[in-house]
Amino acid sequence: MDWKLRPARDLGLAPGDRLRSLARERGLFGVAANAAWRWLLRLYFRVFHRLEVTGRENLPAAPFVLIANHGSHLDALVLAASLRGEAGRAAHALAAGEVFFGSGAGAAFAAYAINAMPIWRGKTQRGDIRMLRERLVEDRLVYILFPEGTRSRSGEMGEFQPGLAALVAGTGVAVVPCWIEGAHAAWPPQRRWPRPGKLRLRIGAPLSMEGDRAAFTAACRAAVAALAAAR
Amino acid sequence: MSVAFAHPVTVWIVSATVAVVAGAAAAIGWLSATGRVRPDLRRELWLRLGSWCVLLPLMLGPVLAGREWTIAAVTVLALACYREYARATGLFRDRVLSAAVVVAILAMNFAALDNWYGFFVALWPLSVCLLAVASIPLDRPQGYIQRVGLAVFGTMLFGAGLAHLGYMANDPGYRPLVLLLLTAVALNDVAAFTCGKLIGGPKLLPATSPNKTISGSLGAVVVTASVVALIGAALFAGTPMGQWHWLVVFGVLVSVAGQLGDLMLSSIKRDIGIKDMGAVLPGHGGILDRFNSLLLVAPAVFHLVHYLVGIGEGQPVRLITGGG
Repeated sequence: MDWKLRPARDLGLAPGDRLRSLARERGLFGVAANAAWRWLLRLYFRVFHRLEVTGRENLPAAPFVLIANHGSHLDALVLAASLRGEAGRAAHALAAGEVFFGSGAGAAFAAYAINAMPIWRGKTQRGDIRMLRERLVEDRLVYILFPEGTRSRSGEMGEFQPGLAALVAGTGVAVVPCWIEGAHAAWPPQRRWPRPGKLRLRIGAPLSMEGDRAAFTAACRAAVAALAAAR
Repeated sequence: MSVAFAHPVTVWIVSATVAVVAGAAAAIGWLSATGRVRPDLRRELWLRLGSWCVLLPLMLGPVLAGREWTIAAVTVLALACYREYARATGLFRDRVLSAAVVVAILAMNFAALDNWYGFFVALWPLSVCLLAVASIPLDRPQGYIQRVGLAVFGTMLFGAGLAHLGYMANDPGYRPLVLLLLTAVALNDVAAFTCGKLIGGPKLLPATSPNKTISGSLGAVVVTASVVALIGAALFAGTPMGQWHWLVVFGVLVSVAGQLGDLMLSSIKRDIGIKDMGAVLPGHGGILDRFNSLLLVAPAVFHLVHYLVGIGEGQPVRLITGGG
């Protein structure tokens, strides 16, 4: 019997704290809100961006970490909208806390619709990484993560931060590299709103962590860059 | 407004409630001003009073507003209670079963809104059937008994149990009775706490609820049963319930069922190993921590009154589905 009484990880948190907690677990309302949001996103990307996804067959069963180049707010939405079934429901975008969880309404939208988890720049503690790793493995989640740490202002892919390797080290969880094309042109950091334009998402073969963290970080960046070259 | 306050008992209860809140605010204000309480206790008292100031209009308002409002409020309360229960037990992770419980809760409250007693009663076994089969297509027999058991328990408590409170609104004279139950369970808690503190003595069930005493429990029965029986005498005058022995049964039933509901939630919390069911109500914990007493009081009182007097007798039935 694998069923046991196990309270929600966020039980006892006040409503506002719960939205901003890495321990937040969704109920029926959260699942329905996120499903509706992803449906709207798919419609939006089909109509305004003619989104083309290749390599879906590379996606393993959850848990896994989806990484990509980051040049636009559209990136996380493209990845979330492209996941289907259980992987889509398990997907959590790791998002900048200052940007998405600053206000109460913003936090509610980020938590319920986007299903984001806040990462506070410069304030991430060892306990946060531990909680993220624990949930990734035990709750069989899918994380959407941009290892560059911030949106590229030029559209060129930057260096990868070491957090990705710290997150998956020792877990055996696969990292799936992706390349998003056209998002920076459609909605660069300098623009207030997106404009229509063709989007392409290429999903590569999953990577398992081998060697030291620096080597793995470099391997992940190379895998994303290789997808860019495979146009 | 004149309809809402047509019965004198309604006026008494609402007036007494407002007076108690005003008195409590004055007392806490005096204690704060004279520095007779520690700052942390003072903050706790103000938080509790603040929560009551929000809760009471949400509890009493819909009852005064009318039948549909009462049933709608009970439905929201039932869903909120189930949410806390599901998150505390982990049942919320089983989304198919959780959705089935929500459907069952909505159906029971719809039956109350429709004033269709046959469907209302039929939904209890039908819900069990639904919950028993809902997760079978997932082909995951591991933990089947535990999760279906939890789902049935939750449906009966928050669906069937609380829906009785809403169903009472099908009686034209429901307001004083529902208001009496809402306020009597709160009085019951206060009486148990006060008598326990004043008299002390042996614990009631220390492993289940370490702070409850036998003296508090018996004191609550005496205080609550007396108040409920006295108000019940005005409420049920001229009916079989108006006889003194039935009024005593009524009063004792409210107190005992209220305390058992409280102990039932304590058992659930001890089993899981948590202190509160949530943190929505500052100073109280979760919604279930506040409304646990109603879970058993509502069906117990409903069937006593239904048996002796009748509820909604002669009123139009199947208001939505027709065919009545």
